[in-house]
Formats: sequence, structure tokens, C-alpha cells
Amino acid sequence: MRKVWLLIGLLGMAWAQTQVKVGVLLPLSGPSSVSGKAALNGIQLAADEVNAQGKVRLELVVADDGTDPAKAVPALTKLLTVDRVNVVIGGLASGVTFALSGTVKQYQPLFLAIGAASSVVEQAFEGYPLFFHYHPWDYHNVAAALQFFRYLAQAHGAKKVAILYEDGPFGSAGIKVYQEQLKNLGYQVQAEPFKTGSGQFTPVLTRFKAFAPDILYWIGYDVDALPIAAQARQVGLRPKLIYGAPPSWPIGFEKNPLSQDVAGMTAWLPTVSNTASRRFVEAYRKKYGEVTEEYMAPMGYVIVKSLAQAVERAGSAQKERIAEALAGLRMDTPFGPLSFKPSDTGKTRYQGFGPEVWFQFQYIQGTRRPVFPKEKATVPFRYPGEYYLR
Amino acid sequence: MELFLQTLLNGLLMAGVYALVATGLALSLGVVGIVNFAHGEFLMLGAYLSYLLFALWGLDPLLSLGLAFAAAFAVGGLTYYGLIRPVLKAPELNQMLLTFGLSVILQNLALLLFGADTRVVAPPYQAATLTLGPFFLGAVPFGAFLLSAGLLLLLQAFFTRSRLGLAMRAVAQNRLAPGLLGIEAEGVYLLAFGLAAALAGAAGVMLSVMLYASPTVGFLFTLKSFAIVALAGLGNLKGVFPAALVLALAEALVSTYVPGGGGWVEAVFFLVLFLALVGRSRRAL
Repeated sequence: MRKVWLLIGLLGMAWAQTQVKVGVLLPLSGPSSVSGKAALNGIQLAADEVNAQGKVRLELVVADDGTDPAKAVPALTKLLTVDRVNVVIGGLASGVTFALSGTVKQYQPLFLAIGAASSVVEQAFEGYPLFFHYHPWDYHNVAAALQFFRYLAQAHGAKKVAILYEDGPFGSAGIKVYQEQLKNLGYQVQAEPFKTGSGQFTPVLTRFKAFAPDILYWIGYDVDALPIAAQARQVGLRPKLIYGAPPSWPIGFEKNPLSQDVAGMTAWLPTVSNTASRRFVEAYRKKYGEVTEEYMAPMGYVIVKSLAQAVERAGSAQKERIAEALAGLRMDTPFGPLSFKPSDTGKTRYQGFGPEVWFQFQYIQGTRRPVFPKEKATVPFRYPGEYYLR
Repeated sequence: MELFLQTLLNGLLMAGVYALVATGLALSLGVVGIVNFAHGEFLMLGAYLSYLLFALWGLDPLLSLGLAFAAAFAVGGLTYYGLIRPVLKAPELNQMLLTFGLSVILQNLALLLFGADTRVVAPPYQAATLTLGPFFLGAVPFGAFLLSAGLLLLLQAFFTRSRLGLAMRAVAQNRLAPGLLGIEAEGVYLLAFGLAAALAGAAGVMLSVMLYASPTVGFLFTLKSFAIVALAGLGNLKGVFPAALVLALAEALVSTYVPGGGGWVEAVFFLVLFLALVGRSRRAL
């Protein structure tokens, strides 16, 4: 008799459990793979936790977009037509997400965008009712970076910025506007393009020497980080701050002495001390045996957690009902509170995080430490950096 | 003037590594007669070996040089024996497709084993700088230049002073006659292909310090090596260093003096290749 009751109980649980098949489309290879793999780790961690709780069951179907629109579009089409998912988590690289917009509009899934900061993407998804964008937009990123540059000018007297930007869409989009904004802050700006991965910076850096910049600001990929840090020293360029804005940093860079005092911007680090962040770090360490510094890991985690909560509230696997529940959701995350509101331009309806999540860090003795704004700093900002003082 | 001389110095230092990689390509082209699109992947092998030895045992990349040279020689030799030898008499297009396929396979193998992430090493001298009056020389590029020059001089001595080297030059000049004189062409091909891979492997170690290790690190150097070899004259080993110098100086000058030149620098080798091919075809008329 007890077995019958147990069976009835299990059937009842299964009946109450809402099952959702979720497509996960991320760059697991190509230039954005470091971020993509970090995001996948966060997604899988959250899915395990959700499934263990038993109220919602998430089945993940993972595909690699290769950081390449030509691979991403067929991969998404397969997820939507062969695997028949109704919910997709993806869209990390802007160029790839832009290319996905047509397929998304055609098959109309609930699309939960993890990255894709470019406002070109915002335009592409304008009016699409099932588009939830968690990551801040590029104008939020610029606002956060400019706040830092304003501080550098006012508190440290920085006057000259030399910008090295990669000549692809990532580095070049909006570079002119960016230069103007820096000039408006009172900076003298000299900007030079470069080919990412070429590793040849000595001629440009030699030219920058005559300009004698206070800040060497590079916008490129992880492959450029070490050559720039090394070659700046080799040509005798002595900026007071080396500031980088790659989507991810190279593996082992933090252990390289050349990374000392190099600064960058991120939305999260394991040292962020709110409760949700501490809980995430602990769970991540337990599952993977290490701690990540990539903010895409908690971003993936947050998306799955918010999705599970929305599914639970909606009590349905229907995408429109999940979207409705998601729109009214409020939750604490490792980045701070999350709720959705229309984007600043009004083009998309559901924007998650804004400029407030960004902060500046520095590599200090082998680890990334928050240094600005002051309320988020865990150590004093080191200006001028070691590369100037040597 | 100071900027101009510093630019020339930057170009000169880069020319050493270019010459080392391109000499390998010229060897496989001149002696074996194979257009090897997978040449850059031997370079990648050296870069990853340097990274692994550094990451696992903290071995200085300088000490990895000999090992990378030997490992790349072995892989090159095996590649020759298993893949190149059977197609030596096949049409050139088939040979090119084979080496192109090998390049894709090796890149994807690296992707599978190491992922697409960029890996870096951190020897203590990585950013060391030498100053010569107003001029700056990166210790690593300077060391790489000296090493490359040393290896190329050794190679030159091998070609001019040793019987095996002379045999190689003989095979490069005429494929049939050396056989009639008792020179084992098969062995010479094997040695040449192995040596070509070994030079690229050594260059890979240097680049792991100067740049990074990644599955695609060799690709760009393959393209540049083709431009250098075309400029030097196919298979002309003596012309490789001057050609590498022309390319490296052209890149440095464009990067320094052309507005936005940093973005154009990778187009320079296309221009060099184009000019070399057009120049040669005109001379042939």
C-alpha cells in the first residue's frame, strides 16, 4: 500500500512540475569562446539547482554559434525547428545576435539575450515582444566608462588618452562618438586602429610616445592584451594607466607580471560581496572546483534562475505566459537587483541591467580587484600604475 | 629622424622571426617541391609546446627551444613520410589541397585539445628593454632576432659546408641528376621537410613569448611567409632574409607613417606579394 502512495506522490509531483525545453546558443568556439564557456557553466549550474528543487524542470539543448553568424543562424534554426524549443538563451556577441534577429522574428521564440550590447542589436529587435535583454546596452557601458574617465581627469589630473582600437565592428563602432565624448571631458585624444591578433604594436606605440598619453586605452580582443602590455614597455611608453576593454582576458594573464595594474571594466567579480554573489561563488566552486572571474558565468546563472521563477509563477510552459511573468519579476542577483523596464531609447520593452552594474577593476598581484567607484572598491586605485613607476 | 630610426629598428627585429618562418617554407618549396599550407601549424605546435612546458613545469621558453625544434622535426618527418611522400608525383593542386586539409585538421585538433582561448607564458624577461641612446629595443624581439640570425647562419653553414647540405642544394636544383650520382633523394626530402617544420617550431616558441599560443597563431605567419618566399624567388634560400627585411620594414613604415596605418599593416604583405608577382611576370616577358 505504501508503494502505491509513493507512486501517487511521485505522479502528483510530476504533474505539478512544469517542463520547459530551453535552447542555449553560445559561442563555445571563436573569439568570444571564453565568455561563452563561462556563460554555459553558469547556465548549467542554475539548471541543476532548478531541477533539484523539483518545481520546474529545464531541459537544456546546447549549441555552439562559433562566434560566427554563418554558423549561428543554422544552429538557431535547428534549435527552433528540429529540437522545437520555445525559449532560447543566447546572443552573446553583437554581430552574431544581429544576424539572428531575422530567424528569431520568423519563429518567434522567447529570446533571452545574455550579451549583445551593441545598440545595432537594439534596433534589430525593435518591437519584438518576446525579447528580454539582460546585459546593459553599449550606451550604458560608455556612460560607465566615461564616469571613470571623468574621475581620472578630476581626481588625478589625467589629460591625454591614446586609444588603440581594433578595426573590426567591435572596436570601431562608435569610436568617433567616443572620442568626441572624451574631448568633451577635456581630454586630448589620439586614436589609432590596429588589426586584432597581429601582435604588432611597436610602430603605433612608438608614435604614441611623442603624444605622451596619461592613459593608454585599448579596445580589442584577448589576443592583444599581452603584446600591448609587453610592447608598451619595450618601446619605452610610460602611460600612467593601461586600460583595456576586451570581451574576455587571456588565460593566465593574471599570473603574468605584465598584468600588474592593468585596468578594465566588468559587471561582476567573485569579490562582490552581496548575498546572491556569495551564494553563486560557493555553488560554482562546489560544482566546478574553481572560481571564475568571468561575469558571463553569473549572467547565465541569473537568466536561468529568472526563467525558472517566471515559469513557476506562470505555471505553464507557454512562452507568452512565461514572458508575462518574467516582465513582472523582481529578484536579487550577483549584479544587484534585477527587474525589467523599457530600454532608454524605448526601442525594446524589456531591459534588465543598466550602467549601475559596471565597475572598474585592476589586476593587482595576480587577481582582479574592484577599484572604482569607491563604494564598490575593495582596494585603493593604483594610479600611476607600475608600468609608469618602473 | 629619431622616430624614423626607431621604426627601422622595429622592422629589423621583426624581420628575424619572419625570415625564420619563411626559410622553412622556402625549404619545403625549394627542396621537396611542396607548397605547404600547413607550415604555420608547425609554428603553432612550437607555441603550444612552449606554453605547456611553462604551465606544467615552469620551464623557461628558452629551454623549450631545443625540444620544440626536435618535436617539430619529428612531426614534420612523420608528416612527410605519411602524407607528403605518397603525393610527390601527384598534380600540384592535389598536393596543395592535401596540405590545406592538414592545416585545417591541425587547427581543429588544437581547438579540441586546448579550446579557442589565448594562452600566454610569463618568463621574467618578457618586457625587458635595452636602451641604445634614444632608442629602445625589446629584449625578447632582440633575442628572437639574434636566435633567428644564428639559426639561419647555422643553416647556411650546413648548406655550404656539409655533404648533406650540398646534397640538399643539389636536389633543389635538379631532381634527377643527384640520383644518378648516388644521392638518396627520399632521405633528403625527409630531412628538408623535417628541418622546415623544426624552424617553424622554434619560431613558435619565440612567438609564444612575444605574442601568445592559440590555434590560429600560425595562419598569419604562413601568409606572410608566402609573400616573403614569392619576393625572394621560389625556393631561393639566400633571398629569404632580404625579402623578410623588406616586408617587415614596409609594415613598420606603413604602421608608423600612414594615418590609421595600424589597421593597414596586414594588407602590406598582399601588396608585397602583388608587386613581387607582377614584377616577376614582367621580367619574364
